[in-house]
Amino acid sequence: MTSDGPSAAPTPVQASRILEREARFRQPTLYLRLALTAAFALAPVLLPSFQLMDLMLKIALFATLVASYDVVIGYTGIVSFGHAMFFGFGAYAVGLSLGKFGAPTYGYLALAFALGVLVSAALALVIGAFSLRVKALFFAMITLAFAEYALILAVQLSHLTGGEDGISPKLPGVFAVSFTAGKVLGVDVNGRVVTYYVVLVVCLALFLTMSRFVHSPLGRTLQAIRDNEQRAEALGYRTFIFQLISSSFGSVVAAVLGGCYAMWVRYVNPESALSIQIMLDVLLMVIIGGMGTLYGGIIGAAVLLTARTLLPDLRAVGTLMFPGSEILQRLTERWLLYFGILFILVVFFFPKGVIGTVREVLSRRNAAR
Amino acid sequence: MPAQPLISTRHLTIRFGGHVAVDRVSLDIEPFTLKSIIGPNGAGKTTFFNLLSGQYRPTEGRVYFKGVDVTRLTAAARTRLGIGRSFQLTNIFPSLPVLENVRLAVQAQRRMGLKVWRHSRRFPELEDRAYEILETVLLQSKWNALASELAHGEKRKLELGILLALEAEVLLLDEPTAGMSLEEVPTIIGLIEAIKHRRDTTILLVEHKIDMVLALSDSIAVLKDGRLIADGTPEAISRSPEVQAAYFGGGATGA
Repeated sequence: MTSDGPSAAPTPVQASRILEREARFRQPTLYLRLALTAAFALAPVLLPSFQLMDLMLKIALFATLVASYDVVIGYTGIVSFGHAMFFGFGAYAVGLSLGKFGAPTYGYLALAFALGVLVSAALALVIGAFSLRVKALFFAMITLAFAEYALILAVQLSHLTGGEDGISPKLPGVFAVSFTAGKVLGVDVNGRVVTYYVVLVVCLALFLTMSRFVHSPLGRTLQAIRDNEQRAEALGYRTFIFQLISSSFGSVVAAVLGGCYAMWVRYVNPESALSIQIMLDVLLMVIIGGMGTLYGGIIGAAVLLTARTLLPDLRAVGTLMFPGSEILQRLTERWLLYFGILFILVVFFFPKGVIGTVREVLSRRNAAR
Repeated sequence: MPAQPLISTRHLTIRFGGHVAVDRVSLDIEPFTLKSIIGPNGAGKTTFFNLLSGQYRPTEGRVYFKGVDVTRLTAAARTRLGIGRSFQLTNIFPSLPVLENVRLAVQAQRRMGLKVWRHSRRFPELEDRAYEILETVLLQSKWNALASELAHGEKRKLELGILLALEAEVLLLDEPTAGMSLEEVPTIIGLIEAIKHRRDTTILLVEHKIDMVLALSDSIAVLKDGRLIADGTPEAISRSPEVQAAYFGGGATGA
């Protein structure tokens, strides 16, 4: 009984809680997370190449985007194919507000983020309200239809969106390419570097917010709904409201990230912000990393983006190493083929994604002890 | 004067296409009693439960809870009013730990499901209450296991625990011992008896084990082909020739 007071022996649940609290600074994953944050923070100092800095920030952006998709698909069990669309909304909001209708000022930048978030939240609520009550497949199809439609609009309304060519917004003040503030630790502090750190901090903040979201009582309820919706309903939970909150939350996070993406690449077009290819990438990343893990996105984004950046260089390596052999040069050209093989191997050896499978193995080992 | 019935149905009917699964059933369930519903397979017992708990909407007729018409309310809304149900096929959260299964029910009962700003482990009172309930259903040693790893009988105990956590005024128990081994049945009967003796909960039980029904029930209703053919004390029901023919007779002809 709980009323027995402090003299009563703690139940196993209380004991585990006390243990968890005492061990919270001794978790290996805590230091892994800190090390990862440090790696991202030190990248501009340690990696002088712009290509590598670009890769690092894109990994951070996509890892966070995948995590926001994971909140929806992995933690709530809602299959959406429109997640990249909200990312595109955020990106286009920045592009339109700064590059087309407004000017490169902080005010328009803030307005862009506010609009991106509001439009995404509103559309996510509308789509959810009309199609979440129906079966899961229907929601997937509806979101796919909306994503396609958004893409077509962005291409067709070229007087608004710049069509296929897109928009290249200029950024204000400290984000501008021309901005410089001397050298710190041997690094030129220019608009690029400032943007890198601001976007990184936003990614970090969003990641922490999502982590709190999925571990809160609300997040636990989402996992219950994913596991057995009928049972959750029979406990008295309005499952529809919870699903609506989850899908809208994920969409809003995606919109913020889209805005950050546009700030980083300083360019928005249908292919880079709204295409189905981005959705497929996010899907691949969440499968590689593991659904329902949140951190899987980091592995998924790192694997996919690194492979995509470095594998095309294989050809150069091939030409260098086998100058005489045309067959070997040809083989190194087919980098997509190797990526396909890599993906199959990951799915084969990590059926629940890298993080998901590792977690499962660890918890099984703990249980065996 | 008898007290107002806790749950009443009036002419409750549901049709699936041409098939009338529940046919004009008018039944009263008195507060703090245990009423069993028996009848041959396909008599409409589970369908009747689904109408009470809100999984189905009736074609005709009404469901009243404490005199209030709840016919149009969803299952979730009825649970919040105090009608909790268990399912014939085990219905738990398989990929979540045992304690979490019950904790979610405690969280639902205390209306804390929408809290989002704090870590769920920062609400220790929910976990402690869930553990207490696991002790009641004799499952405390498994608190850390995944629900999917439990034996069948343990899953039924877990379901009962989830139901207890809701602190519902009415428990709808749909064959709580279905598929259980003989050794496991007495534990469940003991649990139901313990709840019954608290005299603060009304229990509606669908069960095939007739000796268990006769021993536990305050009253028994008999359904056949969707119709209510008898309603009375266990003694009266076991003596009723109509019931003998419809229900007990089925087994007798086979013997």
